[in-house]
Parts: sequence; C-alpha cells; structure tokens
Amino acid sequence: MANPLADPVLLFFIAALFASGYLLANGRGKKGLEGTNRMLDGGLAFATTGLLGSAWTWVIYNDLVRNPLGGEFCATEGFVQCGSVIGDPRYNNFFGISWGMLGFTAFATLFFLILCIRMDPLAKWSEQYTNYAWWLGLAGVPFLFILVGIEIFVVQHICPFCTIAHLALIGYLISVWTLRERREISAWY
Amino acid sequence: MARRRRQLEPKGKDEDVRMTAGLITAGVVSIVIVASMFIAPPANVGPEEGSLAPDFVASAYNGGNWEEVRLSQLYDGRLVLITFLDTDCPHCWTEAEYLSEIFDGISGEVMFITIAVELSITGHESTREEIEAFRDKTQFGDNQNNGDGCYSGRKNCAERPGAPHSWMYVDDLSSSIASEWELPGTPFNVILDGEGTVVWNQAQSENHPAGEDMGEALLRLLQEGE
Repeated sequence: MANPLADPVLLFFIAALFASGYLLANGRGKKGLEGTNRMLDGGLAFATTGLLGSAWTWVIYNDLVRNPLGGEFCATEGFVQCGSVIGDPRYNNFFGISWGMLGFTAFATLFFLILCIRMDPLAKWSEQYTNYAWWLGLAGVPFLFILVGIEIFVVQHICPFCTIAHLALIGYLISVWTLRERREISAWY
Repeated sequence: MARRRRQLEPKGKDEDVRMTAGLITAGVVSIVIVASMFIAPPANVGPEEGSLAPDFVASAYNGGNWEEVRLSQLYDGRLVLITFLDTDCPHCWTEAEYLSEIFDGISGEVMFITIAVELSITGHESTREEIEAFRDKTQFGDNQNNGDGCYSGRKNCAERPGAPHSWMYVDDLSSSIASEWELPGTPFNVILDGEGTVVWNQAQSENHPAGEDMGEALLRLLQEGE
C-alpha cells in the first residue's frame, strides 16, 4: 500500500472520530436529558470507533504475521506505517497477546458500560456505571503512553490505526469526564 | 404558608437494561471478531510442526560483528535449520561437530542458524565473547575448571571438536527466544521450510520415521522437495 493516508479504511476511522466529537460537542450545548443522551451517543461512538480501530489493527497484525515483508492492509515503509510497530515481534504484543486484541477487549468493556448508561440514563446504577466507565478508561492511559512512546522514541514511525485507537480512547475519556461533570452540576436531566 | 412543590426525581426504566446491553455488546463483539477472522485469519504460530515459526528480532554474530537480524527476513526459499546450543553444554559440543560435518554437503540447500542460549545451570554462565569463541573456535578460557571458557567453564573454546562454523549465531542469553520456542533442553533442532513453517521439530519424534535424527530429517526433506 503506497500512501497510508489515502487508505479508505483510515479515512473512515478519521470520519468516525470527527462524528463522535460532533455528537459530544452537540450534546454539551443542549440542556437536560436530551443533551446527556447526545453526549452518551458521542461516548458510544468513540468506544465503537476504538473497538473497530483495535479490531483493524488485529487484522493487520494477523496479516503481517503471515506476510512479514509487507501486508495487504497497511504500509510497511515510510514514516506513517504499520510494519515497524504492528509488524515487529518485539513491540506488537503484550505477553503474547496482540495489542489489537487487548484494545478490542478493553473497548468492548467500555462500549458495554456506556451502552448500559445510554439505554437507561436514569437508572439507579447509572452514576456508578459512569464512574466505572471513567476509571476503566483511565486504566488504558498508561498503555497508551507506552505505545506512543515506542512509536515516537523507539521505532520513530507512526502507526495510523494505532493512533485512531489512541484518539478514540482520549475522546471517550473526554466524553465520560464531561458526563461526570454534568452529574456534578445536576444537569444530568 | 406557601406550598413548596417538591420536584420528582425521574425514575429509570422498570426493566433492567443491562442484560440487553450485554447481549448487544456480545453480538457486536462476535460480528467484529468473525469479520476480522474472515479478512485475515490468525496464523497458527508456534514451534510445533505445521505452525508458523515464532518470529524474532535479535543480535546475531556472523564472524565479523554483531548485527540485528529478523528471522522472517532471512527466508530465501531454502530449508532453515535452527539449532539451539549452549556453549557450556557437553552434548552441544558433539552437536557442533555434527553440524560442521553436514554443513559442507547441504549448505546450498539449507540455511543454518544457531541460537546460543544460557541454561539455568551453575557453570553455564555465558557471554557474547564465549559465543564468538565457540563459533570461531578461538582461544577463550582454559582447561583449569575455573568457570572460564566453554564446556561448563572447563575447557578452552578452541578445543571444540569440528570445524569453525561459518553461519550466524544468534544471542539469546536472555532466553526470550528459547521461551517462545518452548525449548526443552539443548541441543535442540527445528527445521523450517523456505517460508518459515515448522516442518520438523526434534521434540515431536512421534511424527517422524523411527529413530530419525536431524541430519536424516534434512536429507529426507531435501529429497521430498526435489
């Protein structure tokens, strides 16, 4: 693949990030439960983007394991590429499990939590679930720093789909943070 | 007295939606996993016959200096003989001699790679200098049983039987490759086909003709490939 930035899958993910951000920003401007629901939609969209982005890095990982010299789904040369990160056996796994699969599992959990809240934002447990969503999302941040550190300081390449998953986590955390804030100022409904 | 109207707190739904949310999540996860596996099925990676050999990036000594190599980038269509050796293991001396004997006859059709490990046994402490000396048969250590040198630190590495080796020796003193390759002991041999699939694993003798050793396996595989 010549230019990873022209990859339609990558463009889809970038669009999904923008759409998620739009939903979140749109919800912040609205009052009451309608705004809360819109913000929850934003959080859910970020979690879905992270889920799909992580799954895509798992696809690339499986492809590069079979074709280490160059896969079908992402460039292995240039500054923006997957080969030196997802394709490198030193950095592409955490105790034998691919980072893509780990991210997928994490985002599936975050997706479940925020979906529960979205389906019943007035449930007794929704506040508790918002806190779970926050702390579990926050637990992913050290891994994000490790992976970004490897990209910047060790391999000195940027993995585009890994970055999508990282941005989705940051977007998700902003969503949950603003939702918690909304509760604190009694603007939830 | 003015009557204060107490604002009613909105109630959530009567039914618990969490089960539904769990089912939706499970559905989404299943669909995404199935689709991902359809697009790029996970490879079966491991040291077992039929699996793709675990890839590694490590430093290798080729007679000049140490350079970083990646196993999967070495495949050139030839069979690959991977031998795990410990420079301090007495059986590895015999194996090294055997490797010297068979190398000349088949080196055009087989790529030799030796992975030097350090078994967790007292006296088996190793260094890169020791690996170099073992490979090149150069002076390292003495015969004083003082821990210096090869053969549990009891012999000068230059005394290793067989000719000096001319293929690469990979440094796995940290045992990271050995762990991923489930090394049962040393010496240990695995043969890969030209694309990195394990075709012969010394530990899977039940799959091989009775009593077949590594040299015989190589000859059989070369004949099968003709």
